[in-house]
Amino acid sequence: MTSTPVQATGIDRVRGWILGRHADRTELADDVNIIDTRLVDSLSFVELIYTIEEASGTEIDFDSIDIEDFQSLDTIRKAFFA
Amino acid sequence: MNAKAVRVGVDLVPLARARAIVERPSDRVLRRLFSIEEQSLLQRAGNGWDVEGVAGRLAAKEAVFKLLPADGKTLPWCSIEILSGKGRRPLVRLDGRALELANQVGLGPIDVSISHDGDYAIAVAAAAASL
Repeated sequence: MTSTPVQATGIDRVRGWILGRHADRTELADDVNIIDTRLVDSLSFVELIYTIEEASGTEIDFDSIDIEDFQSLDTIRKAFFA
Repeated sequence: MNAKAVRVGVDLVPLARARAIVERPSDRVLRRLFSIEEQSLLQRAGNGWDVEGVAGRLAAKEAVFKLLPADGKTLPWCSIEILSGKGRRPLVRLDGRALELANQVGLGPIDVSISHDGDYAIAVAAAAASL
């Protein structure tokens, strides 16, 4: 019997991207505020948008972004992966 | 007469961060960070992106953003342009959302200085604003 690899969900890809930037962390809870904790700063925010677009298959209009949608994995999930 | 105060913004960008963005397989992130005019200034003919130039301009954009009343807002990267002025001195041009924010505080002409040393680029921006 062969096993089928489990596909990471979209939000897990976002989580993996954030963790990949912070070698000191091994986990990231869904409710952690990634902006206030500076896990994502203004420069990496642009890369976060790109990562969410790739993982969700949607395009995000940079000029009409609501920063509240990007506060945590929870809010990102609700806004882009619901 | 309206009282004025000087606002100052500063930012530091490691070259490694700029390099990581430049080396991405797609230019999509760079196109969201830089206007068409900036992109043409940052691309070396036949030799890819100027990593130091990218880092310096990113630092300058962040420094300018710190002059604006932008608490809780995302940085409008492409509406803060860092171009080349006389004697290659950086020239700041605002439009769109950045210009709206600047007008809210009566921000005057913005001066920017960019410097590089070792693994970092640093930029300082200053302008007069209404109190």
